[in-house]
Amino acid sequence: MSVERCGRGASFADLVDYWAGDLTGADAAQVEAHLFECAECAKYLEEVVALGHAIGEGMRGAHFQSIVTDSVLNRLSRDGVRIRSYAFEPGQTIPCSVWPDDDLVVSRLRADLTGYTNVGLVLAREDGVEMSRIVDIPIGPETTEIIDAVPAARLRAVPSCRLRLVLSGTREGREQVIAEYGLEHTGTETR
Amino acid sequence: MRSSQQWLEAADAMLAETIASAPAGTATDAEAELYRRFAPRIRLFGLKHLRDEAAAQDLVQQVFIVTLERLRAGAVRNVEAIGSFILGTSRTMASAQRKVGSRRTALLDRFDDRNTMAFPIDAVTFDLPRVVRCLDTLPLRDRTILILTFYADKPAPEIAAELQIAPGAVRVARSRALARMRECVGAPDKARPRGGSR
Repeated sequence: MSVERCGRGASFADLVDYWAGDLTGADAAQVEAHLFECAECAKYLEEVVALGHAIGEGMRGAHFQSIVTDSVLNRLSRDGVRIRSYAFEPGQTIPCSVWPDDDLVVSRLRADLTGYTNVGLVLAREDGVEMSRIVDIPIGPETTEIIDAVPAARLRAVPSCRLRLVLSGTREGREQVIAEYGLEHTGTETR
Repeated sequence: MRSSQQWLEAADAMLAETIASAPAGTATDAEAELYRRFAPRIRLFGLKHLRDEAAAQDLVQQVFIVTLERLRAGAVRNVEAIGSFILGTSRTMASAQRKVGSRRTALLDRFDDRNTMAFPIDAVTFDLPRVVRCLDTLPLRDRTILILTFYADKPAPEIAAELQIAPGAVRVARSRALARMRECVGAPDKARPRGGSR
């Protein structure tokens, strides 16, 4: 089997576009007709849909850390995921806690990202021990905020301590710190 | 009499022809094989158009009942195009399901042999921790695109607007990310043995 096409020459990318709603009219109908004639493409799409389902399960279960968008946060809220949000301005340090029924902790990091590429985010303890590193954060010319979503379960395991979030990027050929944010992590609260 | 293995290797048209030419309800192996091949496709069609797993499963049952009725009655004019017939039936019944709700009960009451369609579709699944690990290995932009596509149900132009990149770039990245995910995750957990459509 080709990586990109089935034995009959149909494009797997077209199947994904069809599923995602990016094909309409005659193009969508053509792909649909092919699906009912081609077992290979049917199997491919079935696996893609199963993968997509698992990704959805992973999101709903707050299983992984990711940079997200507001539309993802809205969807998570609609799905009943309990989200605790903290908003930071550059240089700001704020107290933060995790509660037993939190699923996801979201940090909204505001920054002037003008002209930066290769933007990355490091979460570290005050003693320098790195807890996570995210690289190549997708930003556009209008991006003014990075939304970092972390599973609450991961933060519950962190004892009370000071944490630093360092946002860095490359501008004019030099890697530099864009902004730093402080967290007074007080551990897991109880009601 | 064909063996199960021979049915696995038979063309779709041969299965349809066998069902059409046999006394009603006697070509059970051919009917079961036709179901095994097309039920997942009808389910996908149902998920795509009805956006609901239960409705998609209902659609599978409805379409197969009609398909077998028509084959048994000799009312499918071109068995060579059985896939096209099943797709057309899927479109008609999904449209009806959207308009007037489920017709499942009435159809099941009309049909006297439910055994062929009695088993649920053994849908492909993947191990969630493995998927999460593989997703973590993707470049962040690709991961975000998959999340927006499959979790937030966003088409490429909307994702492009959110990430401030071109829609074409979203589609290319999505396709590339899925290829990497499939390679990383490996075989699904519950893939059934399959014969090919020919």
